[in-house]
Amino acid sequence: MIKAVMVMNTQGKTRLAKFYEYLPVEKQQELIRGIFAVLCSRAENVSNFIDAESIFGPDSRLVYKHFATLYFVFVFDSSENELAVLDLIQVFVETLDKCFQNVCELDIVFNYSKVHTILDEMIFGGQVVETSSSEIMKAVEEISKLEAASNAITLIPKSASGWRSR
Amino acid sequence: MTMHGMRGLSVFISDVRNCQNKDQERLRIDKELGNVRNRFKNEKGLTPYEKKKYVWKMLYIYMLGYDVDFGHMKAVSLISAPKYPEKQVGYIVTSCLLNENHDFLRLAINTVRNDIIGRNETFQCLALTMVGNIGGREFAESLAPDVQKLLLSSSCRPLVRKKAALCLLRLYRKNPDIVNVDGWADRMAQLLDERDLGVLTSSMSLLVALVSNNHEAYWSCLPKCVKILERLARNQDVPQEYTYYGIPSPWLQVKTMRVLQYFPTIEDPYTRRTLFEVLQRILMGTDVVKNVNKNNASHAVLFEALALVMHLDAEKEMMSQCVALLGKFIAVREPNIRYLGLENMTRMLMVTDVQEIIKRHQAQIITSLKDPDVSIRRRALDLLYGMCDVTNAKDIVEELLQYLSSADFTMREELSLKAAILAEKFAPDLSWYVDVILQLIDKAGDFISDDIWFRVVQFVTNNDDLQTYAAAKVKEYLDKPAVHETMVKVSAYILGEYSHLLARRPGCSPKEIFSLLHEKLPTVSTTTIPILLSAYAKILMHIHPPDQELQSQIWAIFNKYESCIDAEIQQRAVEYLALCQRGAPLMDILAEMPKFPERKSSLIKRAEYSEADTAEQSAIKLRSQQQTSNALVVTDQHPANGATSPISVGELSLVKVPSMITSENDTSTDLSQQNGALSNVDTQPPSADLLSDILGPLAIEGPPGATVQSEHNAISGLEGGSDAVDGSAIVPVEEQTNTVQPIGNVAERFHALCLKDSGVLYEDPYIQIGIKAEWRGHHGRLVLFLGNKNTAPVVSVQAIILTPAHLKMELSLVPDTIPPRAQVQCPLEVVNLRPSRDVAVLDFSYKFGTNMVNVKLRLPAVLNKFLQPIQVTAEEFFSQWRSLSGPPLKLQEVVRGVKPMPLPEMANLLNSFRIMICPGLDPNPNNLVASTTFYSESMRAILCLVRIETDPADRTQLRMTLASGDPTLTFELKEFIKEQLISIPTAPREAAPAPAAAQPTPQIPPNDPAAILAGLLS
Repeated sequence: MIKAVMVMNTQGKTRLAKFYEYLPVEKQQELIRGIFAVLCSRAENVSNFIDAESIFGPDSRLVYKHFATLYFVFVFDSSENELAVLDLIQVFVETLDKCFQNVCELDIVFNYSKVHTILDEMIFGGQVVETSSSEIMKAVEEISKLEAASNAITLIPKSASGWRSR
Repeated sequence: MTMHGMRGLSVFISDVRNCQNKDQERLRIDKELGNVRNRFKNEKGLTPYEKKKYVWKMLYIYMLGYDVDFGHMKAVSLISAPKYPEKQVGYIVTSCLLNENHDFLRLAINTVRNDIIGRNETFQCLALTMVGNIGGREFAESLAPDVQKLLLSSSCRPLVRKKAALCLLRLYRKNPDIVNVDGWADRMAQLLDERDLGVLTSSMSLLVALVSNNHEAYWSCLPKCVKILERLARNQDVPQEYTYYGIPSPWLQVKTMRVLQYFPTIEDPYTRRTLFEVLQRILMGTDVVKNVNKNNASHAVLFEALALVMHLDAEKEMMSQCVALLGKFIAVREPNIRYLGLENMTRMLMVTDVQEIIKRHQAQIITSLKDPDVSIRRRALDLLYGMCDVTNAKDIVEELLQYLSSADFTMREELSLKAAILAEKFAPDLSWYVDVILQLIDKAGDFISDDIWFRVVQFVTNNDDLQTYAAAKVKEYLDKPAVHETMVKVSAYILGEYSHLLARRPGCSPKEIFSLLHEKLPTVSTTTIPILLSAYAKILMHIHPPDQELQSQIWAIFNKYESCIDAEIQQRAVEYLALCQRGAPLMDILAEMPKFPERKSSLIKRAEYSEADTAEQSAIKLRSQQQTSNALVVTDQHPANGATSPISVGELSLVKVPSMITSENDTSTDLSQQNGALSNVDTQPPSADLLSDILGPLAIEGPPGATVQSEHNAISGLEGGSDAVDGSAIVPVEEQTNTVQPIGNVAERFHALCLKDSGVLYEDPYIQIGIKAEWRGHHGRLVLFLGNKNTAPVVSVQAIILTPAHLKMELSLVPDTIPPRAQVQCPLEVVNLRPSRDVAVLDFSYKFGTNMVNVKLRLPAVLNKFLQPIQVTAEEFFSQWRSLSGPPLKLQEVVRGVKPMPLPEMANLLNSFRIMICPGLDPNPNNLVASTTFYSESMRAILCLVRIETDPADRTQLRMTLASGDPTLTFELKEFIKEQLISIPTAPREAAPAPAAAQPTPQIPPNDPAAILAGLLS
């Protein structure tokens, strides 16, 4: 199964972290730091694999992909195929790209909840639930519509107070 | 800019982003948390939109690494909100923040269930996602049947069903005892007909979990899986949106092949043929192309196909095709494929007959050791280590040595350990081995563990022709300007012992060697100084005639360290000075160290240990199954007791091999024992009790009798009979009249009989000895069944029981001849007098044709046979436990180097030794408490209590406490259990135990059974 999905930028700032096995928050941060320390020392044009057992313990593997300012990192166990997980990162990024038209780091930062929704349509409890990026988009759009419908009722009158209270 | 229109969230995020440092960030976040807390106090005034916004803020804060405990309740309560956005946030946050044991989850179960069984698909998805992410026990109990229904429901949309499949999978994985999957085989088979690829992919994941648990039930799914694979890989029959870079859903292909790997074999010839056709197609039809993503996808499928081919143990032709492919991969430009090529080659080593083909790629693999990518370098190292054998060891080890100087620091320790192990296992000759280890120490001294240099000392000590070479070699290294401390240690040891062999060479006079060593002293740490002192003492001893100047120089050093604050250094200085001053006779004590008994390398053992619970296809394990070089004989089935604790009493006991890995300490034990003997001139002859344990190592290293004698020589100062202690005392034990090889492993048979009461003790082509035993209290009755397997008689049959002091044994008459195809029974009466772990030996000989066969067999009349399990109540246990308050009746020891095993297995092991586990007495689930009764003639029944405390984080160590009313029993039982826990079932060479027995025994005092046993069993 997939144990964790992380997105971090090249400065080591976490942009997304989802752990499919519960870990206390300190442990999560420690792992993220550990991974970043390895990632940032890797050159371009090397493989997408790093040794995860020293960070995550036995039976863990890690693949990552580097896009512009972001690292996309998936951690999983030996029941998954490494390259298939790497493909999954690609699907995730392609879906983000479709969703945000030329996705960049800021899209992910400010649309934190949306990125979560996309991930949830793709990975479910540590297993791949959908691999077709058009299917994922369909599901996400349905959800957006639902949200928009309910927001339309409440958002307009309350928006002023919403700003004030931030 | 934001699609969700949560402006407050965006502003908060950019505020956090604008923080200059961590402190500012914390301030901003604390402010926000305070704000959120306040707002939630008066919940009524919050709009759903606001609630949602705050909860997302919390989630964001949580991701940054801050605790947001107070929001849990809020998140859970949002789940029951009637409107979508709030519910959505409630579910998402709950699944991110809460773990399965969280109390609040219980509050939500009803709502969650209502959402799952309700008609609103969106709510169903939300609920399933949350349950699937958390997977708690209570969820499983109350929701699993509903989720199953959703998965099978034809009225549900695929969107819901695929989530239901994975939700069920998660619940099943986490709570296999609760989720009932009986009768699911048919439903799974039905699900495999699904046309929606999303649902099919999810169902396939579920099937992997089910099949991995019990493949028997799912045979009916196998042909369907093959069909799916055929449909995807051959017919490419897939909707457009599931084609990924032109590859029909690589994920589904991979998962399907995973499922197939859980079936041991495919029997149906049609299915098998179809599958192999598809696999063949995948293997041959995959090329490396320009597009990286397409490459990844097609190779994901290809590597899975390779794994499946390996699993199915295909024909040799297909296997060599696979290796050829892998050979191609490890040379391609694409780094991912190089990486996986190497990894899969390592796995492939498991398959028989392909090693030779893999060896053809050795040059390329060595090149990969210099790959710019450390991940690939590691894989190359693993593979080289795995593929190394006698034929290529020299090349590979030399490559590793070369690589060591340029390797990353993170890899050096592993690299040097691997090089050391390979050098030891496959050395074509010993001087090469010495060269390799010295180079290792020279190049990577910081990464060389003590085990490595102990081992080289051991080999040098045991091989006379190596000593001069090694001494000359280490001297060369010492001449270099910068020398690593480990090199100082090993050189000091070797030069102390053997520098006199170099005395005639230029620059190697005792004086020069001494000053060469002594100039290192100011640079070394306190652990090295004792070794240097020993070396000085030994150098001094070897000078004939004595050199006054050097002597006074060395004495001055001893004098100086006599008041050293480090006890070890001080003791050595005092002792050496005293010894030197007493003159020639006492100098014998400083003679060369005797040879070490052959035993399994602690390095190799360590390698096996460390791999014990990781990947099953570990190359190291493969190693241990392969044949080793003949240059270094490693035998010994006696477990080393954590090689690092050299002077625990258990190891020095007579029947055991003393720790000789820690040669540094051996010098000191050796000496202090001699010293002990000096003060008690009326030394007792060794007997099978505690005292003899202390004299153990000497008794074992030479023939016991001779050693005892030499001690007396030393004590009475009669003459310089130094030969008695030195290495020549160990006669080569290889010569044996036996030309007949036993069938099966004698040691294993013995160990098996220690646990059961009947079985075969020994078998060879002519004869079989069976045993049947009955035990009652301290009495035992064994019957030996001597069976002649041939059509000619076996003659000159002789059976002598060598009885240890704690047993009384009477063997009935054994006939001189066993007729063809006949079996004779010889009853043997046993009475247990006292507790002891010593073992009785059957010295059995016979003649068949011209073959004279003699074997020494340990008899399973061992300590645990005189135990009777007894169940005690908590009250009895604790009152006894308290009344036995401390040593010597209650002993405690931390045992290291324990064979890692799960607690239930350990409990079974104890039970099988008739030490009964009393469950529930100890509140800590990591501890075991057990009780038993020991029966002996002298003491009748004695209650023994055992407590074992394990450390779940480190299964290789535990603390053991033993209590009984008799100090000897406490000690013996403790040692006995310890032996069982640290025992490693090795497959020792047959030659090991028996030949030792061939030692001529005349000089052994006949009244000393323990010494005889030591001779027999060392």
